[in-house]
Amino acid sequence: MRPLEFGRLAWRSIGSHRLRSALTTLGIIIGIAAVIAFVTLGASLQAGLLGDISPDDQRNLYGWAADPDTEGGPLAGAQPVFTQDDLERVDELEDVDAAYGYMPISTQALAYDGELTPQSDALIAAGPPYIRPATIDEGRQFEMGEREAVINPAVAGQFEENVSVGDELTIVRQGGEQTSVTVVGITDSSEGLSPFEGFEPSPRVYVPTDPYYTEEVDGIGAGFEDGEAAEDEAGEAEPADDDNDEPATAEDARFLAIVVEAPSADEGDIDQARDSALAVLESGDSDASELLGDDLEITMQTSTELLQQLQDVLDLLQNFIVGIAAISLVVGSIGIANIMLVSVTERTREIGIMKAVGAQNRDVLGLFLTEAVVLGIIGAILGTVLGLAVGYAGAWYIDIPLVYPYEYVALAVAVGILVGVLSGLYPAWRAARTDPIDALRYE
Amino acid sequence: MATGTAVSLKHVRKTYQLAEPVHALDGVDLEIPEGSYTAIMGPSGSGKSTLMNLVGCLDTPTDGTVVVGGQDVGDLDDRERTTLRGTTVGFVFQTFNLMPRLTALENVALPQLFQGISRGERNDRARELLERVGLGDRMDHMPNELSGGQRQRVALARALVNDPTIVLADEPSGNLDTETEADVLDLFDEFHDAGTTMLVVTHERHVASRAERIVHLLDGQIERIEELDGSETSPRSSAGQTTGHDRDHGHDHDPDHDERTGPASGANG
Ligand SMILES: Nc1ncnc2c1ncn2[C@@H]1O[C@H](COP(=O)(O)OP(=O)(O)OP(=O)(O)O)[C@@H](O)[C@H]1O
Ligand SMILES: [Mg+2]
Repeated sequence: MRPLEFGRLAWRSIGSHRLRSALTTLGIIIGIAAVIAFVTLGASLQAGLLGDISPDDQRNLYGWAADPDTEGGPLAGAQPVFTQDDLERVDELEDVDAAYGYMPISTQALAYDGELTPQSDALIAAGPPYIRPATIDEGRQFEMGEREAVINPAVAGQFEENVSVGDELTIVRQGGEQTSVTVVGITDSSEGLSPFEGFEPSPRVYVPTDPYYTEEVDGIGAGFEDGEAAEDEAGEAEPADDDNDEPATAEDARFLAIVVEAPSADEGDIDQARDSALAVLESGDSDASELLGDDLEITMQTSTELLQQLQDVLDLLQNFIVGIAAISLVVGSIGIANIMLVSVTERTREIGIMKAVGAQNRDVLGLFLTEAVVLGIIGAILGTVLGLAVGYAGAWYIDIPLVYPYEYVALAVAVGILVGVLSGLYPAWRAARTDPIDALRYE
Repeated sequence: MATGTAVSLKHVRKTYQLAEPVHALDGVDLEIPEGSYTAIMGPSGSGKSTLMNLVGCLDTPTDGTVVVGGQDVGDLDDRERTTLRGTTVGFVFQTFNLMPRLTALENVALPQLFQGISRGERNDRARELLERVGLGDRMDHMPNELSGGQRQRVALARALVNDPTIVLADEPSGNLDTETEADVLDLFDEFHDAGTTMLVVTHERHVASRAERIVHLLDGQIERIEELDGSETSPRSSAGQTTGHDRDHGHDHDPDHDERTGPASGANG
């Protein structure tokens, strides 16, 4: 007997018990839907994270100094150790295309055209290459030493009137003093440009470290001159020159992080750039090395490497949830097995008739097995559709690009078949074993 | 045509081990020639259905041998026995035994499904048989949409679908009115004329009288074999005369009553 004939007969008997069949497959549907939904969301989340690493970001190395025991993402526990001098020496390395400092600067507010919006963490000082050309929607990178800024669309749209290239913005510093800045570029997205910022959209103003950060350090230096107390307060975290008598200058500015640009995204190039940069920074000649020690070490990683940690956590979580969902699959199989057993008992007489007119044991086995498998496949297909829909809705809701894990769809159908076979095997075997005489006598 | 032996039973015993052993068949010897038409009569519980099940390869004897179509059923494994009953034997059950969720056409085609015959071919054959039993206009009806007589005819068509050499019918006319019964019996005659070996269990004299000979069963044993050309063999000499008496009065009495009481009174007398 051919599989197609089995399928036709199985479909017949499933169709004649619609409600029962539907309830039976529900367990499978829910199990598979849960797995597919979580896997879809997981894959989408990963793609969302990885997709944020633009190709020309892949050659950037992000470095900071922190206690090696500190857990967490980029900049966790970071201390400002890198001086302008250090950065320049790394920048001059042959294996390195460019190196510049990175420093978030606290502010009070941003003002445009007389309109003030409170803003505490929008200002980021970095080198011009930090604004990668591909991320600029309009205008150009800022230039070092100029009072220029690149803003993101979130800032541009924050005021009554849209800020555009060429406009002047006023930054109100933490201390209250104001500096103005000319907008020279607007980025294409409000998401962070590097793992340092995090990827979530938020208003950001990118400015050159010189003059914006060095200027601030000058200010602090001035403060130190006035009172001894200020120095104590600053503590270890605010490293001052060994020689306290001299006022702090731009040279003393210490950056929280360093961005090193390798010549290409090639793994060899990146490793070489990393090794050379670390060699310079950790050598006794660098200013940073004075502060490094057992509880302050430099970490230097690419965006991809940094995200890997996040992904590992995500994978773990996903496996856990998928594991729980798989339990519902087991429950679903038990449901199918149960209903098949009922069905075999109920159709004892039919089995007897079939055997009496020449059905072999394997025909009866195949018939009932097919029925269980068809139930399993229906459950798997409906579960997959439902799971993808839920995944789609979820991805849409948390605003990440949707990635369909196609291999899981194939896997789900395979699981459906497997569940059908496993749960149908015993009932089908019972059916096949039925003695035709007993079965025909069965009332 | 009727040269060989279609069915041969030797010392066949079928015992059910209950609290006390029940001998459904108790040493039966019977030869059924190819192309013959045999009726089996006997009171309820005398072992008629048990005999049919053995000949139909649905069951195996406790003792003795059953040879069907030249093959010893006891020597066959389950698979071979299934093949034999699928191809050589056509069984018409007293209770129809149609598949409730299949149409008349599908029911008739079912045995061929298990022989691996294609759907188109199956349906053509089933249609042809349904036409022949007068159900050309009921092919797509479900069994529960058919009358008792129509169901019986569907069961008959199904029994014939694989061109069996032996047709077994266990009380085929039990549920039929006189007219439909006559139709079914006419069909039996037709098959018999075409060379099929017919074995029909009945309680009714006029049904049995269509056959060439009647095997009378009693308490699991052959009481006597009545050749309808007049002659008679009786393995039990004591019962011989009583049955002759039965035959004379067959038309006056309720035949069913006759069958049940006749041999019993014979045994008493
Ligand atoms: N599965 C069984 N278990 C125990 N005893 C059985 C079984 N099947 C049949 N018998 C017994 O065997 C005997 C013969 O049964 P069988 O069905 O052959 O009778 P029958 O001649 O067909 O009767 P009826 O005319 O009522 O159909 C009966 O006494 C019955 O009780
Ligand atoms: Mg019977």
